[in-house]
Amino acid sequence: MYQIALTGNPNVGKTSLYNRITHSMEHVGNWHGVTVTETSKKILFDHNEITITDLPGFYSMTVYSFEEGISRDNVLAGKQDLIINICEVNNLARNLYLTLQLLELDVPLVLVVNMMDELKKQGKVLNYRKLESFLKIPIVPMSAKYHSDVHLLMEVSLDYIKSGATNTVALTYLDKLPIRDVESIISAAAVRAGFKPRYAAIKVLERDAFVIEKLALNDEQKQALEQIGDWQARVAQYRYEFIDSVTEGVIVSNVTDEHHEMHEHEVHNIPIEGDGELPPDSVATDKHRRHHDRHKEKEKLYLHGYSRIDRVVLNKYAALPIFLLLMAVVFVVTFGLIGNWLSQLLDFSIDKLLYEPITKGLHNINTPRWIVDLLGEGIIHGVGGILTFLPQVVLLFFFLALLEDSGYISRVAFMTDGLFRKIGLSGRSAFTMLMGFGCSATAVLTARGLEDDMMRKKTVLLTPFMSCSARLPVYATIASAFFAPGKPFIIFGMYILGAAVALGMAALFEKLKPLKSGKLSFIMEMPPYRLPTFERVWQIIWHNTKVFLVRVGTVIFALNVIVWVLSNFSFHGYTPVVGGRSILESVCGFIAPVFKPLGFGNWEAVTALVSGLVAKEVVVSSLLSFGGDLNAVFSGPLSALTFMVFTLLYVPCIATLSAVAKELGWKWMLFSAALQLGTAYLMSLLFYAIGLLFTVNVGLGVGIMIVAVVAVICVCVFVSMFRNRGKCAYGCANCSRNCHKRDRKKK
Amino acid sequence: MTLMDAGVNKVYRITDVRGSGSFRRRLLDMGFTPQCKLYVAGIAPFGGTVLVALRGFTVALREDAASMIEIEAA
Repeated sequence: MYQIALTGNPNVGKTSLYNRITHSMEHVGNWHGVTVTETSKKILFDHNEITITDLPGFYSMTVYSFEEGISRDNVLAGKQDLIINICEVNNLARNLYLTLQLLELDVPLVLVVNMMDELKKQGKVLNYRKLESFLKIPIVPMSAKYHSDVHLLMEVSLDYIKSGATNTVALTYLDKLPIRDVESIISAAAVRAGFKPRYAAIKVLERDAFVIEKLALNDEQKQALEQIGDWQARVAQYRYEFIDSVTEGVIVSNVTDEHHEMHEHEVHNIPIEGDGELPPDSVATDKHRRHHDRHKEKEKLYLHGYSRIDRVVLNKYAALPIFLLLMAVVFVVTFGLIGNWLSQLLDFSIDKLLYEPITKGLHNINTPRWIVDLLGEGIIHGVGGILTFLPQVVLLFFFLALLEDSGYISRVAFMTDGLFRKIGLSGRSAFTMLMGFGCSATAVLTARGLEDDMMRKKTVLLTPFMSCSARLPVYATIASAFFAPGKPFIIFGMYILGAAVALGMAALFEKLKPLKSGKLSFIMEMPPYRLPTFERVWQIIWHNTKVFLVRVGTVIFALNVIVWVLSNFSFHGYTPVVGGRSILESVCGFIAPVFKPLGFGNWEAVTALVSGLVAKEVVVSSLLSFGGDLNAVFSGPLSALTFMVFTLLYVPCIATLSAVAKELGWKWMLFSAALQLGTAYLMSLLFYAIGLLFTVNVGLGVGIMIVAVVAVICVCVFVSMFRNRGKCAYGCANCSRNCHKRDRKKK
Repeated sequence: MTLMDAGVNKVYRITDVRGSGSFRRRLLDMGFTPQCKLYVAGIAPFGGTVLVALRGFTVALREDAASMIEIEAA
């Protein structure tokens, strides 16, 4: 029984490797901070039981955000027999920075150098033997994205464990630091706190708040440490200098290409190996030099993570239009062109192949009417109605996954950061919110990567307003019943409205004292653009199809049957036969008047909303199982539209609430639920009132709207004029009142 | 000068990283160490965030982080 943990910088492919080793389906993506919790799985390898643990990525043992802390604590606990440290070959230096810290900690270590495929594409090779001879630990190069030799890695790891792995690397840079002086001061405290003295000493030099707090030094010791001086920058610098010396010449151009051919060329007549003496002033030299210069040029221009695409995509003026255009294309394809066509095909086949033959067959053999209705209306129409959205939901998840895997999502975070900062969020919140288009409950978890606690809480609170894939069937069904020609626009409008409410709410929160965000900086790495593999695309489609089908087959199916039975049986029996109020009608009829001002104060709509708390799809399947006539439920297009607005904004589902409770605690969950219900009610009320105004008298409606808009603008202008008198628009935390920002704005 | 005054598409050398606490630590850990060269790749559409490439990776920094990094032309 062995314990192995996977560690490394963010976005180096830890989870990809984990999935390969354990045959799992953990969420992967081409951006930093996908994994936010530790996951582990037991595998059997070569008659050994091994527990593999996947940890969130971290840059350093001195952590900056919550999920990095999970990794640090896990490593410090030291329960593992081996730590596999995964590095990315493209920025080996920064990856090795963490490796050095792990070596300082003296944990048994095996190094994996991942993404070798990308190095190969650049025509370079990694001399990992050379690196191995410096670091004195086993190094396994691989590319976990493609089928790579995971078997070899496991064999190397097991051998290393069994051979009683110890680090023998000489970390020469440590000699330059006054570690002994620090150790003599803190060694007793370090042992008491459970740290290795050398590690604690280095961390004290680095001013690691976590270690210093744990050490609980007395004033005398603190004073002694003060005298040693500030080494914070030098520790990092020495580590990087050491790395530079180790990695020098480790990655070299592969000379087997055209370069090699050129050397062999008759005209040059230069031996392959002899690089030194060349005949002066000859054509051959010029050509040779030109060739070498071109190689150097390539080297110089090569910037990992930034590509030529970014010049357009991140262009100051084009960035936002491109983003909106991309989103529009995604929505049109998902809901308009392909998705809609597939959905209708599925709907048609369910109707013709299942509904008609089954109900007719059952009628012919004189089955009791309520059984026929339950099967026909409740199950086939209700559950089948949801099933028809399978293509659209899968397409949506597919595009979201493409957004993640290509690396574009980080660009979105980068370009929206300016906007998000103004409303007290950070560009990283854009990640979470975009994920919210898929599933609110899982998106809420991704907020862990946010450094500021209040920012994280607000992101969690606001993400449920983003329209998740479960809400899609509701819009699509109602919109096709009432607004057939403008359906894609109505759906798109709902998505925009959800995002607008979330952003507006963030701006509102920022104005409230207790919910104001702290001033924290935004440091986010940009992943390079990457193409998803065919295998990955297939995985996305297959996985999401499975999840959707399981949901439809279990929760939605069960709930639908319950709703159907309760709505068709009264306390006396089957209602269409006996006549009278059904059980649901009697119960939900009580709450219904509350929704009268919103235009859908009848028991059917209320039942749909209540059952939708379990899963939003049920909102529409309940509506369909009442008989399929939406005109009976809604008095007109306006009340249908208001119903959609309410569905968009109220509590997404119980799963999301429990995810919020897990992230923020019970109090915040209750706040979140109250916030969503309140917002939904108020927004719907507003929506219905304005809509009513327009239907009664268009001229009056437009007039009032114009007056309202003008009034709002005037108030905003006056308020900002009073507030910003003499103040700098940037409002930095430590304003020196004479920075360049103000001058720059004047220009 | 600091990274805030840097021009797009130019290469600079870091001379110092100011600031304090975990924030400075993070910048140093990411590789913003003195003497390291960096390339300014772009500025965000809404302003205030700058894209920097160094040591083989690209990172986005807000102005408050950028103003902590002292640079000189290289």
